[in-house]
Amino acid sequence: MGEPPANGIRIRLFAGLREQAGWAEQHWPLNAASEPPLTPQQLWEALQLPGPLSSIRIAINQQFSRADAPLNPGDELAFLPPISGG
Amino acid sequence: MRLRIALHNEAFEPLDDLARWHAELQAQSHPRSAAESLFIGRVRGETADGSALAALELEHYPGMTERQLEQLAQDCGTRHGVRSCLIQHRIGRVLPGEAIVLVAIGADRRGPAQRCCQELLEALKHDAPFWKKEWHRDGSSSWITGNTPF
Repeated sequence: MGEPPANGIRIRLFAGLREQAGWAEQHWPLNAASEPPLTPQQLWEALQLPGPLSSIRIAINQQFSRADAPLNPGDELAFLPPISGG
Repeated sequence: MRLRIALHNEAFEPLDDLARWHAELQAQSHPRSAAESLFIGRVRGETADGSALAALELEHYPGMTERQLEQLAQDCGTRHGVRSCLIQHRIGRVLPGEAIVLVAIGADRRGPAQRCCQELLEALKHDAPFWKKEWHRDGSSSWITGNTPF
């Protein structure tokens, strides 16, 4: 927990997705921006997260983002299952 | 626009919060709005499948939820030209009958006040990271994966 190391990606899961995956947070090593860039889609597949990514929203550094957005060292990436507030 | 957003991890009374908000605006020499629209959402006593609900558990994404609420409120308030906006939202375990959300919009006219209140409520239901888990009387639970019908 805490701030992400500057040389990696902090990956966070919430709600039902966290329970399905069995973890809340992981660190993915990334020393420098890669070419081609690492994306949330690639991490979703590499981590073998459950279900289709199309049903999940993505946030990078707490801003909604896209599955093909480039990730940089120090980023916080969150996979957000369907929202139900209010 | 005067804006206040708060997340409560314990029960809150919307009308008491609203009275405090009015008093604070008045203390800041903010004239009372000619039109004000309110929405209060409370937990129903039934689950999505109609069985008795023991409690709702509200999870959020600390930091992003607050920022997203502020962004949604600023965008909606600016679009409608409103004067004040109060959002109060519960997190944690919420019992049937307790308030989950209060949205209060002050404006010069009823149209902007009502439209902004409705739009902001729908926006926060879909675009602010909150998740609800239903707790059943038998101790089982399930995540809600969408919103109730409009």
